[in-house]
Amino acid sequence: MSAGSEAGPRAPGTGAGSPAGPDARSRRQLALMLAPYLAGLVGLVLLPALVTLALAFTHYDLVRPPAWAGFDNFTALVEDPIFRIALTNTVVFAVVAVPLRVLLALGLALLLHRRTPGAGTARAAALLPTAVPEIAYGLLWLWLLNPLYGPINQVLRVGGENGLTALGRTPPQWLTDPTDARAAIILVSLFTMGETFVVLLAARRALPRDVYEMAAIEDATGWDVFRRITLPLMAPVLALLALRDAIASLHFTFVSAFVVTDGGPPPYATTYLSLFVYQTGFEYLRYGYAAAATLVMMVLTLAAVLVQWRLVRRYRRFYPR
Amino acid sequence: MSEAGLVLDGVSAAYRTETVLHEVDLAVARGELLVVLGPSGAGKSTVLRVAAGLEPVTAGRVRIAGRDVTDQRPGLRNVSMVFQSYALFPHLTVAENIAFGLEVRDTPHRVARERARAAAETVGCAGLLDRRPGQLSGGERQRVALARALVREPDVFLLDEPLSNLDLALRVEMRAELRALHDRLGATMVHVTHDQTEALVLADRIAVLRDGRIEQVGTPEEIWRTPATVFVARFVGSPAMNLLPAGGPLQPAGDPPALPVEAQIGFRPEAVNLDTGHGAPAIVDRIEVVGEDAYVYLTLEGGKPVVARVPTTRRPDRGAAVRVGVRWTDTHVFDATSGRRLAP
Amino acid sequence: MRGRNRGPSPLPERAARLWRSLGAAFVILVFVPPLLLLVSGSLTEPGLPPSPTPQLVPDPVSTAGYERALDLGGLLRASLNSVLVAVVAVPLSVLVASLAGFALARLAPRTTAVVVAASLVALMVPPTALLVPRFAIFRFLGLTDTLVPLIAPALLGTSPLYVLVYYLAFRALPADLYDACQVEDLSPVRTWWQVALPLVRPVTAGLTALTFILTWSNFLDPLIYVYDRDLFTLPLALRSLSLLDPTNFPVFLAGAVIATLPALGVFVLAQRRFLHDHSDPRE
Ligand SMILES: Nc1ncnc2c1ncn2[C@@H]1O[C@H](COP(=O)(O)OP(=O)(O)OP(=O)(O)O)[C@@H](O)[C@H]1O
Ligand SMILES: [Mg+2]
Repeated sequence: MSAGSEAGPRAPGTGAGSPAGPDARSRRQLALMLAPYLAGLVGLVLLPALVTLALAFTHYDLVRPPAWAGFDNFTALVEDPIFRIALTNTVVFAVVAVPLRVLLALGLALLLHRRTPGAGTARAAALLPTAVPEIAYGLLWLWLLNPLYGPINQVLRVGGENGLTALGRTPPQWLTDPTDARAAIILVSLFTMGETFVVLLAARRALPRDVYEMAAIEDATGWDVFRRITLPLMAPVLALLALRDAIASLHFTFVSAFVVTDGGPPPYATTYLSLFVYQTGFEYLRYGYAAAATLVMMVLTLAAVLVQWRLVRRYRRFYPR
Repeated sequence: MSEAGLVLDGVSAAYRTETVLHEVDLAVARGELLVVLGPSGAGKSTVLRVAAGLEPVTAGRVRIAGRDVTDQRPGLRNVSMVFQSYALFPHLTVAENIAFGLEVRDTPHRVARERARAAAETVGCAGLLDRRPGQLSGGERQRVALARALVREPDVFLLDEPLSNLDLALRVEMRAELRALHDRLGATMVHVTHDQTEALVLADRIAVLRDGRIEQVGTPEEIWRTPATVFVARFVGSPAMNLLPAGGPLQPAGDPPALPVEAQIGFRPEAVNLDTGHGAPAIVDRIEVVGEDAYVYLTLEGGKPVVARVPTTRRPDRGAAVRVGVRWTDTHVFDATSGRRLAP
Repeated sequence: MRGRNRGPSPLPERAARLWRSLGAAFVILVFVPPLLLLVSGSLTEPGLPPSPTPQLVPDPVSTAGYERALDLGGLLRASLNSVLVAVVAVPLSVLVASLAGFALARLAPRTTAVVVAASLVALMVPPTALLVPRFAIFRFLGLTDTLVPLIAPALLGTSPLYVLVYYLAFRALPADLYDACQVEDLSPVRTWWQVALPLVRPVTAGLTALTFILTWSNFLDPLIYVYDRDLFTLPLALRSLSLLDPTNFPVFLAGAVIATLPALGVFVLAQRRFLHDHSDPRE
């Protein structure tokens, strides 16, 4: 792999504290240690990303060799109503669900970071759904959300009559009404913010304790402490997590949409880009078209990265170290 | 004693089940600078934390400026604290750090900034107002922490080893500045340290703390001349005071006071005279030369160690046989079992 | 602030503690019931008309769902496949990640910077975005409809994130330690194996658990690469089970319970390492 050539010509002991092993044998060994990962990184991520770029400009059905298509795929995408719906759904989901997920995780981390009775159990409980395999989790919600015999609506109907809630309203038609279905997908995704939660928990615990004692002596109240100390100190982590979550949100809608709502209810209320790519590629075998949609997805990611980057940069100016 | 600034009245405190302060009584007069001195782990920080309300008491009362604040939260006690680690807010500038206490108390922004600037000038860090703590040296951070404490007019300043992170030269300088600042403000200050020199130089009075108990409270002079216990006697002074059984190998010269059977005599190394030609015979074990002074480590007949401090030019040779002489007037007498002072 | 890691309990904190405990109880009440319902649903007698009222304990309690899930869905065979994949992929993945993390911590800063940057870029690419090209590549290599594409992510350490975590952990070890190893003329591999790896054991434990959970739960890859029923992994078998009779929820919930248990088990074993109060970094 290229690691050898990268590490090879480096002068031994470049500068103070350079961790590079001084002799060629060590450097060769280190390069070998890195090689499998580099192979994976290039072969499984970077190369496929390039292939996407190429395939996006072809017609390709896996049977015949790819045929050059120029910008056909992209013009088709622009005119494809399903794609437009999927794109809107994806952006709306990211804009609604990601802040909710991060806020929820932040709230939980601030609530549970201390040693209080029950906090340990609550921390584990908040993480549990994240450990459940996606598909099992999806199937669980498929049942929980069933408008007729799902437990959620059963509970909502307690005290009401004729299938209405106690307030005399019809319970949400989770899987058949477009708005309710979108809400359901967001609800489902809220439960799996475990990773974000763990990181925020660690970040909160890493904040220096004496700073909070100082604030107590100055009689800063709960809201003041949050606004003036906790939030600014955690802001870099929060920004990173929000970015990560925004990117992940392109993906983690897939299983719930695939299993729970199957992209419906019609017309395509919960078809997200991930599902669109999957269906176009693997159900309709239009790989070139799917690649073009994928490219749009990556551009979206890039946009998210840039936006966040600017925010972090702006923050950095206030917070040099 | 004049009006009280801070009073601890039989205060006990515990971490979980382990009691670390045992019925501490301490009264700091208004305008006084009291230094709490003690070895590591004695409970010095705990005394401050209890006074600030960061740690609850298990018994006793805390009074500040005549108010009983035992059940008040820290923010209502009107104290300022300089933490051992300074506890500066890393995301705020120096100016914002200093003004923090004012702004959370809803002081108008401009007023807060103005007072922050004034406080910064007092401690000589006005040139740093726009920096962040990450861009400051240790000494500068310390000044900022101090300025943050000064910006309000609290009833008591609590300073937890504020000089311990500084190098020697800076420490000596800041020590003098701190004292000058105190005299200028006339503020009530409690200053914690484990450095006896710092305590002796800085304090109006010193409280010596050991294992969560007060051993002695007194002026630096009292602590030095009439240590109340063996612990105080040996903790203050370097090398530590010599201790020998009263009826033992060394008999001080002069008129002996009336002694009980079980007594110990103590004398400082500088009270030992090696030139008199009489006194108890001893062998020189080793010699440490510290500039003008030499510390001579001796062994008396019977194996008891004694340290003497002599001018370097007059030091004996290693292995030499000398005679160790002390006078009763330089000797402290302690009860051998309780360690309490008996005479003079 | 040495040795001070208990919660502060100055006086008015007591009320706050009570509120926090109530909050914790609320969190438990929100997050646990869905999983309890999963178990309770799986123990319902299949084929009965759904009860009109919510039931936490089904009446009658029946394990018929599990029996049917096992023989209808071929879950046994699928579990074997899943175990096979996990047994190969998880150790391989942790090995790759720790080797690479170590190498990054020891190589010249510029090499490291390039690889770390590439890893960050890779982290930014959502997995779904790689479906089509990866599929084209594996098909080109003739590896579709085998378990190889399911094991392949191990080469990446499952996620570049894990490599970076190892990198940070190794870099955080004192530099003196590496110098001492160099003085003793330990080769990098031996330094890694004998000195560095034992020192980051908690990281290894945590990452192994995460890798296992991710590998075990992987649904998208099998969905795309595997068509032969005999090669189905548990998540895929579970899906076809749910397609068989979407209304017969006790059967597919039983399958879901079976698929969830190993992941939850590993999670419970690992969670005390990263959730415990001892992990308070202020010592
Ligand atoms: N959080 C804690 N939990 C349990 N014991 C503690 C805690 N903090 C301090 N202690 C104990 O309380 C005693 C007094 O601690 P304190 O911090 O007041 O000592 P100190 O005199 O300030 O020491 P130093 O000079 O080292 O700062 C020590 O024995 C210490 O071990
Ligand atoms: Mg202390």
